[in-house]
Amino acid sequence: MADELLPNPSKRISIRNLNKFYKDFLALDRLNIDIERGEKIVILGPSGSGKSTFIRCFNRIEPHDSGVLMIDGKVIDDKTDLTALRGNVGMVFQNYNLFPHLSVLDNCTLAPRLVRKTPRADAEAAAHRYLTQVGIDEQAAKYPIQLSGGQQQRAAIARALCMNPEIILFDEPTAALDPEAIAGIVSIIQDLAAQEITTICVTHEMGFARRIADRIVFMDKGSILEIAPPEEFFTTPQTDRALAFLNQMIHF
Amino acid sequence: MIFCGQHKTYLHRVLMRIGAVATAVTLYSLSCPAQAEELPSFATDGQLTACTNPTLPPMTFVNGADTSAVAGFDIDVTRELARMWHLKPVITTMDFEGMFPSLASERCGIVISGVLRQTGREKNYDAVPYLDSSIVVIAKSGTPKIASLSDLAGQSVAVETGTSYEALIEKENKVLASQGRPAIQLQMYPSEDQVIQQVLIGRVHALISQDVEVFFRQKQLGGKVSIILTPDNPDFREFAIYLRKNAHDKALLQAAISDMKQRGLLEQLSHKWGISDQEAQVFSEQNAPSAFSVPVFVSALTSAAFLKGAALTLIVAVLSHLTAILISIPVALKLNGPRSPLQMFLTAYVGVFRGAPTLLQLLFIWNALPQFFPIFRESWFTPFLATWISLSINESAYQVEINRAALRAVDSGQLLAAEALGMKKSVIYRHVIFPQALRIALPPTINDFISLLKTTSLASVISLQELLAVTQIQVARTFQFTEYYSAALVWYLAMVFFFLYLQKRIERRFSWADRNEATANG
Ligand SMILES: Nc1ncnc2c1ncn2[C@@H]1O[C@H](COP(=O)(O)OP(=O)(O)OP(=O)(O)O)[C@@H](O)[C@H]1O
Ligand SMILES: [Mg+2]
Repeated sequence: MADELLPNPSKRISIRNLNKFYKDFLALDRLNIDIERGEKIVILGPSGSGKSTFIRCFNRIEPHDSGVLMIDGKVIDDKTDLTALRGNVGMVFQNYNLFPHLSVLDNCTLAPRLVRKTPRADAEAAAHRYLTQVGIDEQAAKYPIQLSGGQQQRAAIARALCMNPEIILFDEPTAALDPEAIAGIVSIIQDLAAQEITTICVTHEMGFARRIADRIVFMDKGSILEIAPPEEFFTTPQTDRALAFLNQMIHF
Repeated sequence: MIFCGQHKTYLHRVLMRIGAVATAVTLYSLSCPAQAEELPSFATDGQLTACTNPTLPPMTFVNGADTSAVAGFDIDVTRELARMWHLKPVITTMDFEGMFPSLASERCGIVISGVLRQTGREKNYDAVPYLDSSIVVIAKSGTPKIASLSDLAGQSVAVETGTSYEALIEKENKVLASQGRPAIQLQMYPSEDQVIQQVLIGRVHALISQDVEVFFRQKQLGGKVSIILTPDNPDFREFAIYLRKNAHDKALLQAAISDMKQRGLLEQLSHKWGISDQEAQVFSEQNAPSAFSVPVFVSALTSAAFLKGAALTLIVAVLSHLTAILISIPVALKLNGPRSPLQMFLTAYVGVFRGAPTLLQLLFIWNALPQFFPIFRESWFTPFLATWISLSINESAYQVEINRAALRAVDSGQLLAAEALGMKKSVIYRHVIFPQALRIALPPTINDFISLLKTTSLASVISLQELLAVTQIQVARTFQFTEYYSAALVWYLAMVFFFLYLQKRIERRFSWADRNEATANG
């Protein structure tokens, strides 16, 4: 855990005492962490522990109530320009949430054209580049409904990449995928890290977590209980909660 | 009382001959004081406004294919009144039920529409009789004559809605009941021609009407109907012009009518319109059509009157629905959003306008609104405008529910994903939410539109000359109801099928929702 009391502006992300309430319910309880450029963070924890809530704070889809969230040395609060923030922090969802009425290509170019005012030709050229990177450029003209689950998740990643984010948040990206498709997503995330893109990924797949994580963050009841490299976390968890969680996971 | 219009010409003629023009002017101004005093108070803006329901030939009807050209005894009387008072006659046509509310709301100065003088009506309005009449019972030709109304016991009888024959029959039924005899079965129809149709097709035994009606119909129907009884009844002896209660106006109108009588004008009009039976006919002899006549159907279908009626129906429906959609989108968004006091108001709005009958809303806007706000009495507030407003409000209440359901059906993840891409709410709704909601809303919207297209026919009660009003007026004129109804049906179906086709065309753009039909747009 981050030791200092003050946030560290030299880190990509620096979080101190982050709190989030839903009415009276404390969903996030004094979270502290520093995250490096190009780092791959995986968040684990039982259902309802606050993982989704936590990563939604990064792009302010869920605004935090107190504490400090700093990205690239800038404090994120209610004065932050959300368009700029969300351009810098992309997000990929469990259900992909592609726009069903647009082709894969238009899914990728919609936000650059409407938010960034990028000319269509430039936006499409960039989209084809990212679709090639995630390996589905030949599907560009199709509608989402015509793609397999793995292809849809790749399209969703390409859509996020089209905004040139430096951080990408993944909320259970592999939950609906088969092992082969999961392997594809793993290599894409490793690819992103090579480009200095920071990835923060919530998952329930232990194998997936072990393969991609630089560090594992273990959450329970709105608190971060452990932050450790995967081999350390999976072999010698420090808390009883983490141990119980891992035992449960292995038995299922 | 002497009328200035008449008096003036007479004086002129006499005085011009002795060359004393100056004296004439002096004399004239003496004998005929300020003209404003002689005008009834309902004459405003130099206009004599009259309400009439042109489905009662030969009193008031459309004597040709042009629905705006009303004619008949009543129309001639109105024109003569206007001429005598130096006013411009403005004749508004509407359903029978609409006339007295229109009189009350000062939309017209007089009601002249072959309406009988009756004590009941005189409680609320003044009546000035202008033509003698008598009640008649009519049946198919060949039906034996009867001696009194009680001979109709157990038979079915048709009358026009809103007329006072209903009360007459009910009174008779009480007498019959006390004698232990079966009642006369009453059936009511919204127009005189429909009443006659019932006799012709044999649904009812007889109908009750006025003699003038029959003189006209008898010729038109080639003797297919005849009078079986002429009961004498004080409540059915005179046709009267109705006006709002005003002793001064009433006296003026009475004077004008008696002047017309003295000049022999009313007698002359009786001959002109074939009310006195021996007179030469202004209507050509015509046999009652027994079978469907294709040429009549084709000419009805392609007539300018039908084209205009259909165009009006289409325009008022499209305009109203577009307005309704514009109103309904923000209302639906608000109702789907977080709780607020405005929401309660909007919920009430939707509830009231979905709950109240459309016909009632139309009548309310047309007849009740001018009572609260006199500005709605002015001529800019046309039946078209009133229909547009009522149907827009009414339809918007239904459309709100369609929109709400459609917006809810769009996955909430769509909003989330678009927000995560940095898009603004307005952009998200325009490019992400609405296109998806449209697919869900389209079929019920077209469905509602088709229903609205037919609802426009209600607007005939506030005198909008839409397709069904045109049809009824033409049927009353020609009595070729099968052909005219068929022509109207073809027009309605053509419009409906066009919109169903349009729906199919638009739905093709939603192929993205169907895995098997989606076509890659490369
Ligand atoms: N909008 C909300 N309003 C109220 N409570 C909420 C809301 N969103 C989440 N919560 C609560 O906050 C807690 C954390 O929810 P969150 O979705 O972050 O859990 P999670 O760790 O992502 O769980 P899962 O693994 O099932 O996705 C839960 O108890 C949840 O019920
Ligand atoms: Mg979650």
